[in-house]
Amino acid sequence: MSAPEVVRVSAPTPPSSPAPSVTTPPALSLTGVTKSFGPVHALRGVSLQLGRGEVLGLIGENGAGKSTLLKVLSGVHEPDSGALEVNGKPVRLRSPEDAARAGVGIVHQEQSLLTNLSVAENIAMTSGSRAKAATRFGVYRWGHLNRVAAQVLARIGVDVDPRTTVGDLSFVDRQMVEIARALQVDTGAHASPVLILDEPTSLLERDETAVLEREIRSLREIGSVVFVSHRLDEVMRICDRVVVMRHGEVVGDRRTSEVTEDELFRLMVGRDSRATPRERRSREDGGTAVLQVEGLTRGHAFRDVSFSVPAGTTTAIVGTNGSGREEVVRAVFGAEPFSSGALRVAGKDVGSWSVASAVRAGVAYIPSERRVEGMVGGLSAAENLVLTHPGEAKKGPLLRPRARRKVAETWFEDLDVRPRQPDLALERFSGGNQQKVVLAKWLSSPDLKVLVLDHPLRGLDPGASETVNAQIRAACARGTAVVLLPDTLEEALELGDEIIVMRDGEVTARFDTSRETPTALDLLEKMV
Amino acid sequence: MSTTTPATTPAAPAPAPSATGRARRGLPPGLWQAAGPAAVFVVLFAVTAALQPAILSGVGPINLTTQATAVLLVALGQAAVLHVGSIDLSNAAAAVLGAMVLALALGPLAAAAPLVTLLVMALVGAVNGLLVAFTQVPSFALTLGTLGVLQAASLVVSDNTTVYASANGEVVSWLFIQAFAGLPVAFWFAVVVAVLFWLVLRRTSLGQALTAVGLNETAAVFSGLRTRWLKVAAFSFSGVMAGAAGICIISQAGAASSFGLGSDLLLPGIAAALIGGTAITGGRTNPVGVVFGALTVALIPITATALGVTPQARSLVYGVVVIAAVALTASRARGAVVK
Repeated sequence: MSAPEVVRVSAPTPPSSPAPSVTTPPALSLTGVTKSFGPVHALRGVSLQLGRGEVLGLIGENGAGKSTLLKVLSGVHEPDSGALEVNGKPVRLRSPEDAARAGVGIVHQEQSLLTNLSVAENIAMTSGSRAKAATRFGVYRWGHLNRVAAQVLARIGVDVDPRTTVGDLSFVDRQMVEIARALQVDTGAHASPVLILDEPTSLLERDETAVLEREIRSLREIGSVVFVSHRLDEVMRICDRVVVMRHGEVVGDRRTSEVTEDELFRLMVGRDSRATPRERRSREDGGTAVLQVEGLTRGHAFRDVSFSVPAGTTTAIVGTNGSGREEVVRAVFGAEPFSSGALRVAGKDVGSWSVASAVRAGVAYIPSERRVEGMVGGLSAAENLVLTHPGEAKKGPLLRPRARRKVAETWFEDLDVRPRQPDLALERFSGGNQQKVVLAKWLSSPDLKVLVLDHPLRGLDPGASETVNAQIRAACARGTAVVLLPDTLEEALELGDEIIVMRDGEVTARFDTSRETPTALDLLEKMV
Repeated sequence: MSTTTPATTPAAPAPAPSATGRARRGLPPGLWQAAGPAAVFVVLFAVTAALQPAILSGVGPINLTTQATAVLLVALGQAAVLHVGSIDLSNAAAAVLGAMVLALALGPLAAAAPLVTLLVMALVGAVNGLLVAFTQVPSFALTLGTLGVLQAASLVVSDNTTVYASANGEVVSWLFIQAFAGLPVAFWFAVVVAVLFWLVLRRTSLGQALTAVGLNETAAVFSGLRTRWLKVAAFSFSGVMAGAAGICIISQAGAASSFGLGSDLLLPGIAAALIGGTAITGGRTNPVGVVFGALTVALIPITATALGVTPQARSLVYGVVVIAAVALTASRARGAVVK
């Protein structure tokens, strides 16, 4: 292990963190870490410590800076300033390889295993020196490979044959293989690895979560864990201590034994109640249903799903992974088929349904996979903006680049898209600004009737979230029917005039929020 | 097993400054992509002219452009198909079939025969496009299949011999006899097609839609574009261009042979498109660059002769120059992604 030379500024002793032990240095220590992306200050002087054998919860709203902090810890981003120490040694992490060499492993939110390879091969695919031992002259040493993998799996108490193909494993087992792989970091003789888990439970069913929780707690024996989540109950159960982030700063550092969920929520959101300032619209005055979905069915993916969305209201659909809600909204947009049932847009029965006919009927869709499905990155922002509804930017078959630029400039101003360069390829913009352009593409429709939003705020910074949210509400106020798949239950409770809960492809509950105010727990009960 | 890291980090807010401060020093961005193919041709032409000044005068330029015309036509079709992210391996075989259709139709139909040929070949291209768009068979495999079908069709039509345009040959022969500005009219026709194609790509919503399909088909679908019909359009254009190349074959030779079945057009056509700066990954095409790509491809054998390369080694020179030219002009706008 070779730590790059770094001038040690001062002994980091953040005031509120309890020193786990006097003799050993903390497993991980951050002092005054800052990171900015252009005008966005993602981290504003973050200091925290992780004790040996500690499970530290890291919570915060979307855009609070958690992801950026994790990227700093895993070597994806270098901080603008501040110091990092691992096991008492100053380190600079300039790449994920550096992080692995320093003893920091990360399990990303999205699983990154190669599903067509065996468990042992996946575990070997880290950048540590142990991974190098898996091959000799570039050829697999299968015996060694499987033995090492079996050892690592045994160490964290997972009963999986290393020769199994990853694709055949359950989600939880795959998550455990990810953890095993992340633990394959180099650690000195006396040091213990630092494991970072980025929302490992966000896609899990509840009983699976229980298994994973037990596993994570048992990791204390062999190392230290940073556990990122936005599920407060889970954090309270699993972690020894919780650090709360908001707007790029640490706003709280508490032992779980000395704090309540409500207090954590207050720290996280910055206000007291979960009540929303938004005026509820009664669904009855909404008048005609703009979107009617009746008995929509496709095999086991979704069955007999019905709902209707009146003009100017929002229907939020919640459910776990595999609940079928993504498939339903994609069917509404014509992007996936359905075998029976009916769809009506503005009272008109849609015949043969495809994306093209959905778009012509006034349905818009913001996909969760923005880069893959939502935008043509190689085209300019302005070209993306007018791709679906050219309006002024087209005369007959001919494009009018100057008119296009003007249209784009107006939108850039309204949505505060930065940089103000509509002719730049859209892939060069940051995620939040890309999302604004994708939204503008649909909002520029002369006849927008239904807006389907699949996790519209995913990965957005607070400013962009606010802009996007305001635009969605404005569209809604103008009479557009909105179907929302929210990132969090809180988002559903805040925005949904109606909330539909799905489980295993079926609707299990619906709440009219103008008449009743369900809690997150009410929704959760129907989800699992 | 090298550096596989869990690098699939979720959408990072890309550092905004990189968006502006990335202009390459020296050349303005995009200039090389626009002018590279022409520069490659000019340099190669200068080298050849220095070795053999004869190509500058007399029949030199005429020979070069005559050789380049059919290649240019199939290359333009190929570029359109590459532009939507597919490939058409059947276009050269289609050109031979087109030549045979024309040779047989000239007698009974006279002046209408070329038009009929273009229509028939548009249909052939449309069938390719429909099959690719609606069966989802990858275009590489599908057009490899239609290549075989078209070759068989040529053998049947020609009864395994050479088909002569026995009557009304003058309907098409003037294309390479008449000259404008010292070069055959047929070549100028091809150049005009290239310029029109350029205008369609850069100035029309159809072109923008084709570009969107080539750059990101899924996003194009999700933007409400009729991507399948756009693909059919690209393949149909490739068919028409193959038909036009077939007309060139009859115009020049007065006959079409089932022997060889267009292998002298398939790879040169692809090479011309690529040297012309067409991205094989789709979405980046400059038809005017393809003109110079085709001229370069036609020039290579002449250069090889000027260099005194023996006939046996000519394909070696050809191969090396194609690789070097593509390396110089290939569109790398998509970073490390190479198909």
